[in-house]
Amino acid sequence: MKAPVLTAGTETSRDHATKAPLPSAARRKGKSKSDGFWPWLFVVPTVVGIGVFYLWPMVQTFYYSFTKWGVFGGAKFIGLDNYTRMLADSSIPQSILNTLIYTAIVLLGIPAAVILASLIERPGMRFASLYRTLYFIPYVTMPAAVGIVWRLIYNGDFGPINWFLSLFGIHGPYWTSTPGFALLAVATVGLWMSLGFNLLIISAGLREIPRELFEAAEMDGASRIRQFFSITVPLLTPSIFFVTIVTVISGFQLFDLLYVMMGKANLAMPQTQSLVYIFYNQAFLQNDKGYAAAIGILILAIIALLTAFQFRIQKRWVNYV
Amino acid sequence: MNHNLNRRSFLSFAAASAAVVSLAACGGNGAAGSNAAQAAYAAPAKDLSAELNYAIWDAAQKPAMQKIVAEFNKQYPNIKVTIDVTPSKGSAYWTKIQTQASSNTLPDVFWMNGPHIKLYAQNNQLMPLDGLASGKAVDKASYPKALVDLYTVNGTFYGVPKDFDTSALFYNKALFKDAGVAEPTSSWTWDDVKSAGAKLSKFYQGKGIYGYAGDLTGGQTSYYNTMLEAGGTIISADGKKSGYDSPGSIAGLQFWRDLIESGVSPSMQQLTDTSSSDMFTSKKLAMTMDGSWTVGPAHTALGADLGIVSLPKGPNSNQSVIHGLANVIPANAKNPAAAQAFVAFLGSQDAARIQAETGTVIPAFNGTQDAWVKSVPSVDLGVFLDLAKDASPYPVSANTAAWNELENSLLPQAFAGTKPVADVAKDLASQMNSALAKES
Amino acid sequence: MSESTLAATARAESVPVGELAPNPSSARAHMPDAKSRSGKQGSNTVAHIVLGIGGLVMVSPLLYQIVMSLSTNTEVQSTPPTLWPSVIQWHNFADVFGSMNFGSQLWVTVAITVLRVIGQVLLCSMAGYAFARMRFRFKGPLLALVLSIIMVPSQLFLIPQYQIIQNLGWLNSIAGIVAPGIFSAFGLFLMRQFFMGLPDELEDAARLDGANPFQVFFRVMLPLAANGLWALVVITVLWSWNDLLWPLVVTSTANAAPLSVGLSNLQGEHSNNYPILMAASLMAMAPILIMFLLMQKRVMAGIGRSGLK
Repeated sequence: MKAPVLTAGTETSRDHATKAPLPSAARRKGKSKSDGFWPWLFVVPTVVGIGVFYLWPMVQTFYYSFTKWGVFGGAKFIGLDNYTRMLADSSIPQSILNTLIYTAIVLLGIPAAVILASLIERPGMRFASLYRTLYFIPYVTMPAAVGIVWRLIYNGDFGPINWFLSLFGIHGPYWTSTPGFALLAVATVGLWMSLGFNLLIISAGLREIPRELFEAAEMDGASRIRQFFSITVPLLTPSIFFVTIVTVISGFQLFDLLYVMMGKANLAMPQTQSLVYIFYNQAFLQNDKGYAAAIGILILAIIALLTAFQFRIQKRWVNYV
Repeated sequence: MNHNLNRRSFLSFAAASAAVVSLAACGGNGAAGSNAAQAAYAAPAKDLSAELNYAIWDAAQKPAMQKIVAEFNKQYPNIKVTIDVTPSKGSAYWTKIQTQASSNTLPDVFWMNGPHIKLYAQNNQLMPLDGLASGKAVDKASYPKALVDLYTVNGTFYGVPKDFDTSALFYNKALFKDAGVAEPTSSWTWDDVKSAGAKLSKFYQGKGIYGYAGDLTGGQTSYYNTMLEAGGTIISADGKKSGYDSPGSIAGLQFWRDLIESGVSPSMQQLTDTSSSDMFTSKKLAMTMDGSWTVGPAHTALGADLGIVSLPKGPNSNQSVIHGLANVIPANAKNPAAAQAFVAFLGSQDAARIQAETGTVIPAFNGTQDAWVKSVPSVDLGVFLDLAKDASPYPVSANTAAWNELENSLLPQAFAGTKPVADVAKDLASQMNSALAKES
Repeated sequence: MSESTLAATARAESVPVGELAPNPSSARAHMPDAKSRSGKQGSNTVAHIVLGIGGLVMVSPLLYQIVMSLSTNTEVQSTPPTLWPSVIQWHNFADVFGSMNFGSQLWVTVAITVLRVIGQVLLCSMAGYAFARMRFRFKGPLLALVLSIIMVPSQLFLIPQYQIIQNLGWLNSIAGIVAPGIFSAFGLFLMRQFFMGLPDELEDAARLDGANPFQVFFRVMLPLAANGLWALVVITVLWSWNDLLWPLVVTSTANAAPLSVGLSNLQGEHSNNYPILMAASLMAMAPILIMFLLMQKRVMAGIGRSGLK
């Protein structure tokens, strides 16, 4: 059942691309700008659901960011106070820096994924499917469960990492409670969890590159490394762009791993915590929901800016052929 | 276990709560004053039919709570009580309770702690229970006064005390014997602990075993006690001013820094990685300051090797902080009669005895604590009761959460030696004072 | 991200269609000079070494978890670390049943996952189709609004969503856990991207035969989007299975909670009983791991293609 569907999709989409102008497009352009009431039957359930459960809460959050929000409800308008307070809060820029460092480390998984994928997808490569499975398994594990495992792995006294280092006479740090190391430790787990996803996306992109390009290059005497840089990487840029966007967005949503891996009163927390962690802390631990809402708006603004920026500069490096 | 979770909940998000000392003044007139207005509670008919949700955070106490419900059902066979456990670890319990309170869906009866009582009471989330007292269903004189005061906010009684806890010195007899160091006694001083700890750490060097440590990721079983013992305070009696910059408080904090610096205690990082309680039960720690709720797990792990004595005396005293839980009812209770009947029973001598016999916590009902003391015959659990007599109330203010967060973010630097203790303490005091100034 | 890379590349190089099949084995089979390539396999040794070591590192936390789940707590905390327990402690797995309501929580997890998947597959594909291939007023602004939701951390929605569920009277029920999660901005976006890449011919043919848009959608277009649906199913299953904060807040009894909540409660109760925690989390992950291994080709094809647009 699977193969025909794939082939059909592949074949027709190619036809679509080659046969232009398309009759249907012509038909649509000729007619009115609306397909009548039908589209609404398709979109109304989802748009209403998203409106009620997601957009309305966003509007509320925006409003509450200008209020002193009572612990159990009741909000008092205080203008920009929450925002001016945010400007003076030194933990905010620090946490943005933490998030940037975290994201930068997790982004290292993308070149790794490109190299690994190009090895796996070599023609005639055996065990390709086994390798793909091995690398993808971390992506399907439960973060709450995996957090405990990694806490053990990082344990300074009886964790296997420090035991391994001790074989070389290195005295390993207390990974999750030492400033600097803690962020590295958390980001390594983030990289570990996302590598399989990135690898799959890039593998799929790789398989769409026509083999003829490589064969022609080979006939011209180009080495495999040369082929990698002049064919593989440029033609993969759309996939790379996609995983970059996903990585940056999820980097700025970092919370679960910190929640599971770091304890309270952790010496390393100021140098590790993310904006979302501060949001949660203010909203649910310190009961300062108005301030938390302002932080939430800041998170949203930063992610939107970064994403817009990425889309803007994509023209310079993403190669859609 | 219970209060360990409980204590973490303080430190993690303790909310505004009663300054116990200041309440001592108004606690006395709580029953008589403005609350005489509330109608005296009269026990409902025995055939009252209702369903109640009872929210708690300690799974270890669930069996005891189930036994209590079974006893309660002998009186009220048609009141069905469902116990719902949400651990306070990672703040789950209070995140949930807070969300439920925002939507008026609080459980019919739930556990309350000191740091949260004032927040919930002042925001009209709780039902006044003066009627229980005036209706003689609950006698306030049956519980330690400090606990009744804690749960009396602005003269109104909101929570029936359930249990209490204090801290003491736990030690591992086998580790002392092997190292040839004399075992602690209840008359030890800070210097005795330091020198014995140094000998032990030296003897076990390279084996990952240390002499003495406390849980520095929170104050209740460590620096709160030593600050008091050195003559300092955590917060002023009126809950308006930080005590962190007083010389006694600084000395109390310096005590732990000295232990770490001299290698008697594991480092701050190490104690974050593996808690001192866990190190003690896995025999990596010869002595620890810990709360009465850890007696059970410690005894399970060490058996006859477990020893417990009173806290070592500091420059001023050997004080411990005291805290306890209470059972409360939400203001908009769906079935107030059934909920009050259940809370009255939870506060009864019978319920306290069941708690005592299971040995998990010290029941608040006076006279039933002996059963708890006897629950582990090999150690003298009476020291916890003795310590309770002179104990200092757990420090709270109207917005405890704000400065608990400051403690958590600043003090680790002092203990780790990144910054001088005195500097951190003064910084903490000034930041805490401005946080307290924002309370209204 | 406008056009399918696949289509774009195909057009540029005018490659015969058969060679674009995403399955590597079929690609190899169609390759005119596959043999000359396989003759070079000697040079793949380095690749195998790199991939093998990397793969082992990737799964080692899981292997470590399995070993710990079969050890005693003393062995977990011993140095040097235990590579294999002296006596295999199978009872750790049996003990899990005594420590949490595994059966009923597994049932809740399966139920909420199935309902969310059905809801998202139906709703997201319909809306995605309309956004991709139909014209209506406010389409652009509506899409922009929906997309902005993707970027918002879910913690921000917690309290307002709770209040809605409470007003509906769905607290502590499967309906309450499921409700917000059957709507997904990400799913809508994903399906829109898939439908944008589909051809017009079949759709037009169906229209000419007099089919209404519903018939066109369900009979013609939806089957063509199978890969996109698979991607959506996989992503929804993984997210729903692991979702923690929302069910934790919205459920109040252990029987109504899913496995993720049960597991987090277990961590609170047995904070340092590592073997039990390891065994319980393995059991909670097992169904999803087994399902992944059984259906991995589908999963890989689905996820892999989700990034093509």
